[in-house]
Amino acid sequence: MRKTLVVIRREFVERVRSKWFIVSTVMGPLLMVAFVVVPILMARRGARERVVAVVDLTTGDFGQRLTAELERSQAIKAERVASEPARFGLAADSLSQLVGLRVLDGFLIVSDASVDEGKVEYRGSNVASPRDMQVLESLVEDALFAERLGRSGVDANLVREARIRLDFKTAKISGSKTTGESAQGSFILAYAMWMLLYMGILLYGINVMGSVVEEKTSRIVEVLVSSLRPFELMSGKIIGVGGVGLFQFLIWGIAATLLIDRRVEVLRLAGVQLPPGAEISLPSIPIATMVVFLLFFLLGYFLYAAMFAAVGAMTGSEAEARQAANVVVMLLVVPSVLMIGILNDPGSSMAVALSLIPFCAPIAMPVRWAAGQVPLSEVALSVGILVATLFVITWIAGRIYRVGILMYGKRPGLKELVRWVRVAA
Amino acid sequence: MSDPVVLESITKRYAGHTAVRSLSLAVAPGAVYGLLGPNGAGKTTTIRMIMNIIVPDEGKVRLFGAVSTGRDLSRRIGYLPEERGLYRKMKVLDLLVFLAETKGMDRPSAKREALAWLERLGLGAWALRKVDDLSKGMQQKVQFISTVLHQPDLLVLDEPFAGLDPVNSQIMKDTVMQLARNGTTVLFSTHIMEHAEKLCDAICIIARGEKVLDGPLSEVKRTHGGRHVVIAAEGGLNRHDALLGDRSLVAKADNYGQYAEVELVEGADPQRLLEGLLATGARLTRFEIAEPSLTKIFIDRVGPEAATATAGDGVHA
Repeated sequence: MRKTLVVIRREFVERVRSKWFIVSTVMGPLLMVAFVVVPILMARRGARERVVAVVDLTTGDFGQRLTAELERSQAIKAERVASEPARFGLAADSLSQLVGLRVLDGFLIVSDASVDEGKVEYRGSNVASPRDMQVLESLVEDALFAERLGRSGVDANLVREARIRLDFKTAKISGSKTTGESAQGSFILAYAMWMLLYMGILLYGINVMGSVVEEKTSRIVEVLVSSLRPFELMSGKIIGVGGVGLFQFLIWGIAATLLIDRRVEVLRLAGVQLPPGAEISLPSIPIATMVVFLLFFLLGYFLYAAMFAAVGAMTGSEAEARQAANVVVMLLVVPSVLMIGILNDPGSSMAVALSLIPFCAPIAMPVRWAAGQVPLSEVALSVGILVATLFVITWIAGRIYRVGILMYGKRPGLKELVRWVRVAA
Repeated sequence: MSDPVVLESITKRYAGHTAVRSLSLAVAPGAVYGLLGPNGAGKTTTIRMIMNIIVPDEGKVRLFGAVSTGRDLSRRIGYLPEERGLYRKMKVLDLLVFLAETKGMDRPSAKREALAWLERLGLGAWALRKVDDLSKGMQQKVQFISTVLHQPDLLVLDEPFAGLDPVNSQIMKDTVMQLARNGTTVLFSTHIMEHAEKLCDAICIIARGEKVLDGPLSEVKRTHGGRHVVIAAEGGLNRHDALLGDRSLVAKADNYGQYAEVELVEGADPQRLLEGLLATGARLTRFEIAEPSLTKIFIDRVGPEAATATAGDGVHA
């Protein structure tokens, strides 16, 4: 046990001191900040007034009313250009040039057919922006709606008053208790957990594999196993690297908490003024969710790290190991590919099955937990299966590791591997 | 005091061949013991079994009188494997402390000893540098320090001089001999007989996984000596083939051209050979009744075909 601690300490200290750790630890919170700030910056950028010309080919006054309506929205600066079908080509050419010179973002073309059949055309440099198009479309649609109602004799002011903004709130019910989480909040939380679990298990698992391969290719492993039991070496390595993972999560957790607590100040420092009322709502993370997350991260990490260690031990080089590791990585990719399905319906039989299959459970179960309601009995069952599998896999991996680390040359076939596992010592 | 290493007819089989067959030997306390054999003779397999890295299929390994594993006794054993390696990205001092700790040494003494050894071998200024920054020769020294720094009672060195530059080779020999004088038992394997001849108190020669002979070096030489004559003559010895082929006098002659090692038949008088040579008009530059070299014993006992790696070319029997 004391010797295992020595191995754990070396793995932990050497890794935490490495450039890789510092870079990834710093980049993590930066990405987190980016997640908070970028949408706001995007929103602000989106809020810049678009300059749009309205090419009015109508015989009535819809063009004027539409221009006024767009102006009133404050999102768009509109200017009416009266034209007629015969001269339209010329007008379009000169307006296109203005768009090219970035004086205009684009121009709307309305005609009598617009009011009769809803036919409106827009040409602009920002047609690829869904947000811009959505705003423009809904404004034009509103104007058309009012115009057509007006034709039928309804007062335009009455129409405007009849319209109210929808304020749609959602709340997640978990264990028959209504939580403060919104639908969007739990989606973001589940998504973030999926990212962290997938990346964490994969990156740290591959780290373990790299460490095994390094010891094997540098041949230091023979000195090590002359004083350490192979299992001491393997478990020390896995625990040490896992500790680095937890340590990194801890740093990120603290950094994120601080940043989120002081988000307004941080944003002000960054020169971002929040528009009034544009409070950034962030999901609060219940303790139970954090416990589920950490529990499944650790179990999943141990499971995969043991497999990665065995893969590292049976191969002779980093490149060869990466290739052989694909089989293991595939196991982890399965629940990730099906993640959207789990998010959409956390109670579906596919989601339940995935959260009970031990190789998928470390990702599927926490995602289900965060996205919807999971009975505790199911969580317990999933943990039980996972722990049992972990014991079996670790035992097998330990045996492969013990033989593999001293083997050089050809990669063993499946038959050879079975022999390694069965051989007593 | 019980013998540090005792092997009781150990056998190790691999798929298709037997690497070591029923090998027994004993290393006395304080001895410098050479395990000799051509490449592929089973030296490394034997040493790995002593270190309990692999387990013999049959037989027992006793270390310091107990049937326990090399790992449990790692505090008392310093092991230098044939395939060497270090963590390239670690600092030299950290690495030495870590390796000493895996052997059961406590951290403060490991640090103290590591610094003292680095100083002694001229690497004091490199303690805080990464292993990668060191030259190959320096890395060899670090590897050696990691083997001895926990003050083991027994050193097990697998081909310790292979791949060393002459300076490091000398430093290592001196250090090993110094430790041996202070009571450390040394067991090392080599296929270079000259090393064994210079350093060992006792030897064991193995070939094809089996013991050929063992015992104290002086005894081995005595039982194989007394009838050996080294001769050299102007113009070479090829003119004297007839005399060297006289089976009533010469049992075996290794004629290297410029000189020859001759083994006389039992009871033959070396003077007869001298007279015979002079009678044929040879102008002798050397005539020496000698103890056989270990190389000679080795080749005689193992046979040139098994000893190809060591014997080299141009051996005429």
